[in-house]
Amino acid sequence: MAFNPRKFKKILIANRGEIACRIIWTCKEMGIKTVAVHSDVDRDSLHVRFADEAACIGPAPSAQSYLNIPAIISTAEIFNVDAIHPGYGFLAESAYFAEICDACNIKFIGPPARVIRLMGDKIEARRVMHEAGLPIVPGSPDAVTSEEEGIKLAREIGYPVIVKASAGGGGRGMRIVRSEQELGKALETASTEAAAAFNDGSVYIEKYIERPRHIEIQVLADEFGECIHLGERECSIQRRHQKLMEEAPSTVLTPEMRKTMGDAAVAACKKLGYSSAGTCEFLLDVNGNFYFMEMNTRIQVEHPVTEMVTLADIVRNQIRIAEGEPLGYTQDDLLIVGHAIECRINAENPETFAPSPGTITAFNLPGGPGVRVDTFVYSGYQVTPFYDSMIAKVIVHARTRELAIARMKRALEAMVIEGIKTTVPLHLKIMDDPRFRAGDIGTDFMEYFLAKNGKKAAAQ
Amino acid sequence: MSADKEETGARRARNAQRPAPSVNMEELRELIGLLRENGLAELELENEGFRVRLRRESAASEPASHGAAPPPAPAPAAHAPAPTPAHPGTHLGTQATTAAAQDQDLHIIPSPIVGTFYRSPSPTADPFVKIGSNVGPESVVCIIEAMKLMNEIQAEATGEVVKIYVENGQPVEYGQPLFGIRS
Repeated sequence: MAFNPRKFKKILIANRGEIACRIIWTCKEMGIKTVAVHSDVDRDSLHVRFADEAACIGPAPSAQSYLNIPAIISTAEIFNVDAIHPGYGFLAESAYFAEICDACNIKFIGPPARVIRLMGDKIEARRVMHEAGLPIVPGSPDAVTSEEEGIKLAREIGYPVIVKASAGGGGRGMRIVRSEQELGKALETASTEAAAAFNDGSVYIEKYIERPRHIEIQVLADEFGECIHLGERECSIQRRHQKLMEEAPSTVLTPEMRKTMGDAAVAACKKLGYSSAGTCEFLLDVNGNFYFMEMNTRIQVEHPVTEMVTLADIVRNQIRIAEGEPLGYTQDDLLIVGHAIECRINAENPETFAPSPGTITAFNLPGGPGVRVDTFVYSGYQVTPFYDSMIAKVIVHARTRELAIARMKRALEAMVIEGIKTTVPLHLKIMDDPRFRAGDIGTDFMEYFLAKNGKKAAAQ
Repeated sequence: MSADKEETGARRARNAQRPAPSVNMEELRELIGLLRENGLAELELENEGFRVRLRRESAASEPASHGAAPPPAPAPAAHAPAPTPAHPGTHLGTQATTAAAQDQDLHIIPSPIVGTFYRSPSPTADPFVKIGSNVGPESVVCIIEAMKLMNEIQAEATGEVVKIYVENGQPVEYGQPLFGIRS
């Protein structure tokens, strides 16, 4: 057993899937032992196999396994871990879970519970970050409680407006409204959807930015107030507010704009008392104005594109920071080299987006220069219908965007997954799209792309 | 994080490594106690200048004991041919699950939660059930402790206890076989 001089000797990973594997890989490189937790249907998942220790914590439904706080803490105590890494999703942005970890003397790898709670309330987050110097989209500062109030506000802001859930995320509880006649119904349906999804029906109204880009800034902050940014990720290619593909750097951000947005995010995070890795999400309009949307207080699915172009290991930094180490980098150390693209491979029909669970009968991973695949499946693996449909992420890195697109194409062509349907063919088509290749993308891209391809299919 | 909060045994063991400058018989006794209480097979403690390793032979039924170095992971993942890859490290419950798999004629009582298995209501009390005990659906057969809560587990079956798959004080996972009942 190699001597490990680190403060953390053992970490429990309160997650599943590719991110659990991703965290294990870094722990192995750091000489830290890992404990996997899993539901009974995930027994054959790779994170269980590659962790040093593992325990089944409950049945398939997440509420009884991956969201089961007593079972996770109980496992952490049985295996005597120093810290818990929550990954993304599940308990990653639960301030309550972070507090319980604190109370049990187990380090939660993430920002303080106070910050998680503050950023979890989207209305409060916008107010606080606006005070901390970030521009925000014009809109209601508080939840809209009546139709009259909504109408008055929307007139002030000017149509189109968007109605959003206060506790929202993932596109649920959102409605775009183009005229006053549509507003009443939109408020009602958004509120109903929000109540069903988040157990909180409060909604707010803001200016709807047409054809914006979704640009986010990755930050790293230590527990001593040092904070830097690692540049941006372009995440405009989304379907129903779910990201499909991400890249870094963005084709439209000049070094000056990167500095302006990055410095603003860093200044706000410093004021907030942020620590660990985090992401400030912005909308960027066609005139180069940017508006703060929300902050994700966790590692993100698309973090690898930043890792590729900056050579930083974000998970490693999260762990180091949680151990109480100083950041050790300054903003001047930031290096952005080449171009990276990530495609999310989902077990879905590439045309209808219907989930496609089943057994993977053949599986080939692409390799070669500049290709990284983060996954937890293998040939013979059974994709269950219990969790999200993402089974792998293919990430490529090359000197230029053009070379990265060529690299992604050949990587996707070599990615063989049989037995289930996946979104590989969809990504291959996007790689050939002239608008995508020209970097002419916005959050409306998929709408355009699907309409175009739908028409073609009908004509054939 | 406040240091004066009540701590579990396991956590105490870790915190104990920090201040202690050398080995002290009192602490060693405490460690041995911890090893027994928690049903651990092995315990290793490292501090500046010394290292203690305690191993308990009675728990020898566990193949890869907790804390022992796992064998190196086999073949790369992506092309793993077997649909059920064997876990290379320590997996709670593997031993009992394998044992119970051979007892197909028995009704198995699985653990409903992850936690620590206790056969009796207190260390000095008699076990709830023994081999040969007759149980009904509401008979309490054991306690599973999770986060300091003692959860009484009922048989939910009628018959005679013929197998006990786990030892007192052993950690168990969700779904792990605890008892075999012949009806």
